[in-house]
Amino acid sequence: MPSPETERVQRELADQGYIADAAISMSLHLARILKKPLLVEGPAGVGKTEIAKVLARVLGTDLIRLQCYEGLDTSTALYEWNYQRQLLQIRMEEEEKGRSLEQKEAHIFSESFLLKRPLLQAITHHRPPVLLIDELDRADEEFESFLLEVLSDWQISIPELGTIKATHIPYVIVTGNRTRELSDALRRRCFYLWIDYPDFDKELAIVSSRVEGIDMELAEQICHFMAAVRQQQLEKPPGVAETLDWARALVALHRHHLDLATVEETLGLVFKDYHDVTQVKQSLAGFLASVGVRSALEHRGDVVADPEADADDAEAHTSAR
Amino acid sequence: MSSLPEDLALHGSLSANVVGFARHLRNLGIGVGPAEAAEALDALSHVDVGEQDQFRQALRICLAKSLREQQIFDEGFEAFWRVWDRATELNRPMPDPDASKASRSEALPVQLTLREWLNTGDGGDAEEEEETAGYSPMEVVTHRDFAGLQPDELDAMARVVEELARALARRLSRRRRAGGRGRIDIRRTLRKNLRRGGELMDLAFRCRRQQKLKLVVLCDVSRSMDLYSRFLLQFLYAFASAYRRLEVFGFSTGLRRLTTTLREGEWSRVLDALSRDMPEWSGGTRIGASFADFAENWSASLVDNRTAVIILSDGWDTGDAEILSRVMAQIRRRAFAVLWLNPLMGNPNFRPQTEGMRAALPHIDLLAPAHNAAALRDLASSLGKLQRGGAVRRPYARLCESDLPESSAAPGTVPDAPSSAKNLQTLAAEHAARKRLEL
Repeated sequence: MPSPETERVQRELADQGYIADAAISMSLHLARILKKPLLVEGPAGVGKTEIAKVLARVLGTDLIRLQCYEGLDTSTALYEWNYQRQLLQIRMEEEEKGRSLEQKEAHIFSESFLLKRPLLQAITHHRPPVLLIDELDRADEEFESFLLEVLSDWQISIPELGTIKATHIPYVIVTGNRTRELSDALRRRCFYLWIDYPDFDKELAIVSSRVEGIDMELAEQICHFMAAVRQQQLEKPPGVAETLDWARALVALHRHHLDLATVEETLGLVFKDYHDVTQVKQSLAGFLASVGVRSALEHRGDVVADPEADADDAEAHTSAR
Repeated sequence: MSSLPEDLALHGSLSANVVGFARHLRNLGIGVGPAEAAEALDALSHVDVGEQDQFRQALRICLAKSLREQQIFDEGFEAFWRVWDRATELNRPMPDPDASKASRSEALPVQLTLREWLNTGDGGDAEEEEETAGYSPMEVVTHRDFAGLQPDELDAMARVVEELARALARRLSRRRRAGGRGRIDIRRTLRKNLRRGGELMDLAFRCRRQQKLKLVVLCDVSRSMDLYSRFLLQFLYAFASAYRRLEVFGFSTGLRRLTTTLREGEWSRVLDALSRDMPEWSGGTRIGASFADFAENWSASLVDNRTAVIILSDGWDTGDAEILSRVMAQIRRRAFAVLWLNPLMGNPNFRPQTEGMRAALPHIDLLAPAHNAAALRDLASSLGKLQRGGAVRRPYARLCESDLPESSAAPGTVPDAPSSAKNLQTLAAEHAARKRLEL
């Protein structure tokens, strides 16, 4: 049985539309009270980034996001001097005799000429924000070790200005897709949470809470279908984001259950890789039958008026064999 | 699960047990230190420790910091906390600290030699590097031919190979960067600022950044490669997890893309997945047809002039050599360089005389051995040079005269010669026999 605290966290998350299992709510609960960064890993599209957004909403605070990429450097992540303004200032002060050179220099290297980037923003924010460091595995190792330093000291030193200490320690969520192994040192610094693809029940709960006006039968079929395709060897297995997109699209199309033609038409919403689409298409009929969807033959009665769709259907059906 | 007696924390045995558990995990291979143990205790004070689920989850979040560690944790948890079932045993003595110390000090020297050995290869150039005759167990294992390993050496070799792959990835990821933003590009700066009357407001920087090398590996998994492919794939597995610009394909009678599978998590899981993905595993070899498939379907999107194509194969082809020659030329045209690593080159008497090898030779920039860990380490320096724009691109003919038979064997096999050389010869004979069977 979950504790009152984790249950409360779970409820708060659910209020914001995020269905969390016990492990997720426990991690957030502990990360929050013990003020530790939370490292979240898992396949693409399982809602890693979403955690940070929802946490910010639950805490009623701001979300500051640092998107990592290869070659990300400190001037993008931390701060940069506003060169243009500095040059302008120099030109404006040229005529002015009142100030000494040192004073002028101190002035153009003061905080008002500083462009704060996410990390600096986060530690100087007026209240503790949620700092999302997204896809850290994409950044270089050097950046990772730099980040580690910031996460343990909570201060940043700027040569011209001195050391800036954190006014508040932000709630930090670090996500990774495991395209590169993150260093042990960083892992040790964080709490760790692995999110896998949701099981049927969890996904169903997500779909029914996030997609308005969805038919329960349709929701169940969708979730069965997703669970089944994720068993396949795909280049890009569909995540929860795809499930939701698909469900919303089907609702918009006024479908109340899945059928072969609809699935074929909307396959592009679920599979984002050419090889995957071809692979799934080939065995679609079998797939749908295995998740309890009406077979193509039954379905054919509905669309017999449209000879082209009928031909497509027949083709897909034969190739499935 | 029975609930915990309420006075556990009061007895102080909870903290002792958590510390003991941390030690237990360390013995299982998770790097938990005292800091993590303290954190775990801290975390436990915020959950209901009487509920086993919560207790377990809180510990897991604090102590297991990767998917692999979570798996170890799950296995270790039950065994350690079985005492929860029998509350009377809660005050049981902690696992013997001396025992854990002993096992750690045993592991340490091996790790150290491994590091030293890697560093000797990583830093300097291969030519200048002098192989010192080391007698540590690790030293021996790195020079052993993969094919001749004893069962008890397999694990050590697996570790060496993994460590090697990470070192290679680190080396390739390094790239020199100009200090700060690079130099100011005067021309572009002036042009950009002309309309402001020549006032230099908007500075343009010239930023030279070294592109990382992209690698495409085609790994032979046919039967004749069985003795090697295990380690080569493990090498690729570790490499793939640490280096992103890598695509891996396996081939025997057909071609399969393995990149995604290799990044699937635990090695044991990957191994299962690989055997599932490659039904042709340990089958015959049709290099030409497999490469043709690659050239047709993949090379356009994966191979460009910043890509090195690495082929791991013994070159025994039962297919049409003409196709192979044509396709190799095709791949060579697109790629930055084509490297062929042949495990059979570990044999000092090796000559590239198989039909497949002969067909491919004119289109290869570098032919090198891949029969032991030392050979894989040398690959690191070849690739390093390649990335620096160095001269790997040499005609094979020169390579064949000067470096081929001697140098291929020099770093690796010669020092511990007699036994392994014999192994190799028998191996080559077995190879030939096996290939005849395949035919």
